[in-house]
Amino acid sequence: MHTSKTYRLREFVRPTDGRSLVVDASAGLSLGPLPGLERFEAAVRPVLPLVDGVVVSPGQARRLADRTRADAALLARATWTNALRGDDFVLPPAEINLIPLLSPADALDLGVSALVLDFLLGYEEHVEAACLRATVQLALEGSQAGIPLLVDVRPTGPRVVLYSKAVELGVSYALEGGADGVAVPWPGTDSFSTILKMAGETPVWVKVASDDDVQAALDAGAAGLWLGAEVFARPDPAGALSALGEQLHAPAGAQA
Amino acid sequence: MPSGLQARLDRLFNRHGDGRAICVAADHGYMSDVTANVVNIRQIVESVIAGGVDGILLSPGMAGRLAPLFQGRDGPALIVRADWMNMPRLGNANTANAVPQRLLWHEKIITAEQALALGATAITIYLFLGYSDRVEAAGIEVNARFVRECQRAGLPCIIEPLAVGGQVTGANTVEILTLGARMAVEIGADALKIPYTGDVESFRHLIEVAGVPVLVLGGARSDNERDALELYAEAQEAGAAGCLMGRNVTRSPNPAHMIEQLTGIAHRGWTVDDALRGEKWDFLRLKARPAACTGCNLCVTACVASHDDGGYGNHAARLRIEPGRRPGDHRVMFCTLCRKCIDVCPEDALRWHPQTGAVELLPERCNNCAKCVEICPTQVIIKGEHGVEFAPGATEGWVPTICDLCGGDPECARVCPTGAIYVADRPRFAP
Repeated sequence: MHTSKTYRLREFVRPTDGRSLVVDASAGLSLGPLPGLERFEAAVRPVLPLVDGVVVSPGQARRLADRTRADAALLARATWTNALRGDDFVLPPAEINLIPLLSPADALDLGVSALVLDFLLGYEEHVEAACLRATVQLALEGSQAGIPLLVDVRPTGPRVVLYSKAVELGVSYALEGGADGVAVPWPGTDSFSTILKMAGETPVWVKVASDDDVQAALDAGAAGLWLGAEVFARPDPAGALSALGEQLHAPAGAQA
Repeated sequence: MPSGLQARLDRLFNRHGDGRAICVAADHGYMSDVTANVVNIRQIVESVIAGGVDGILLSPGMAGRLAPLFQGRDGPALIVRADWMNMPRLGNANTANAVPQRLLWHEKIITAEQALALGATAITIYLFLGYSDRVEAAGIEVNARFVRECQRAGLPCIIEPLAVGGQVTGANTVEILTLGARMAVEIGADALKIPYTGDVESFRHLIEVAGVPVLVLGGARSDNERDALELYAEAQEAGAAGCLMGRNVTRSPNPAHMIEQLTGIAHRGWTVDDALRGEKWDFLRLKARPAACTGCNLCVTACVASHDDGGYGNHAARLRIEPGRRPGDHRVMFCTLCRKCIDVCPEDALRWHPQTGAVELLPERCNNCAKCVEICPTQVIIKGEHGVEFAPGATEGWVPTICDLCGGDPECARVCPTGAIYVADRPRFAP
């Protein structure tokens, strides 16, 4: 891998254990002020020392510029989509869109450590094609700029028939497109084993939806955990993230 | 022709100086659901490289990830998939697809310059015919754009015409493929990747009207490796410049072996039978016309007389006649070169004779286990009366006595008065 990309990946994947705790605080791009994230800086700054990476929108990345070495790396959300919105949202989506926001050159300007791209599956054909095109282009341009590309697999469309296989498909597309890391919803142990085999040395984060997912993901060999904005709605986000970080980075054998 | 374009075409098609290339398509993870050949892509690529493959087609991401495998003078040519489509996932009723697609979608993904930066020797791109006028027109536009980019970059553009969709019937597939081949060349393709039309004559016509190197693709995986080899051999006979095979290689239990077989046909003049054996045979073999056999046993007598095995009598012959009730019913039993004896021998005491192609015994290795005698389907391996020589002048036991084709001029065929035994397939045998 490109040397610069390796350096930047290690800003949020610990070289000591190859593991990584990431929290996604970028949902405001599409969903507005979510519970716990109404005052963005006040919510996010306390957790920066507790996690390895924070996914943010381009605008919020600028507001978190004055970080120290003890703080987490910033990962910039490179695409906007309304696929996160449900039918009960104030603007329910009639047509799913995916809009590119950032290039690797923009990521360099922002000083972030990686770009994160939404890969939507199960929607109209042109949406999937746009995801694949964006993956390949961001990967190729990112190789020149030294900016890693993480693909956030979202098999959330109505056409998904086999959920776990759709997750595998998304990972396959991401890898064939040139991704340097993938984040996936927990697809079950068998599928995750296939995904790890496919990914080889490419890190795979599991987007955990429950405490059960955390243990299953760690037992199955996940390189990292990827938490959604829901964590900020908990009574003590910092405490929850701190506990997860300790669980994730515990020395081998200590978890038992 | 620009020197860069020529150099890359030579790298792909002229590694062996014969204008042919055996290539593997390993880009299925870019378009299909996840299968074993997608999960194990690194091992498969390593395996086909070990088998001597000339080129490998990969997606842009895998091209970057597997780049070290292509390094070195003997490394294969990298062919990059420059577009993307969802055809393998079409069909709402196909529940095998995790996310079934309703419409055929085809897009240009990377530029020729980006492919060059990945180290590509060539790129491939689809041209769909028969789906709809919109898809055909969009495909023409995309292909034309690629060709212009490739010509500026000096990068060979391999166009892959496919007959897909409601306008395609079994009756017009060959015509549509021939149309697609010619259209692709008129747009500016430097080479084609195209399905086999099903017979040598129609494929020869397609290649003639194309006028550029044509790589045949393998299609769906066949459980019988002979099918894939015969498909390629027929395409080569029709004038194909090689193949770009996917699942028949990548889903094979032994991809390296499959490549060795294909390269044997392409670069070493092997027949399909040679490829299945893993050896080139220019040698003779015996064949029979049972209806002509009168049961005179002259062949048996001649066999014994022409060999000095230390014994005498028709039981010592290396062929036999199973008598029938009347002329024409006799069965002529001789060595068919099936190689079962070679495979079963635990001591590797049997091999193909390097000059005659007959089964040859290496007596110093034989342990008299008799497995070859037992397995011979025509029962023409006999226990010879001449034993193993364990010291000068002293022998013990026996050794198998096997047809040696009389060193290239079988006496049985020479003496048969009716031609019931004859020699075949000796095109380059030098007596």
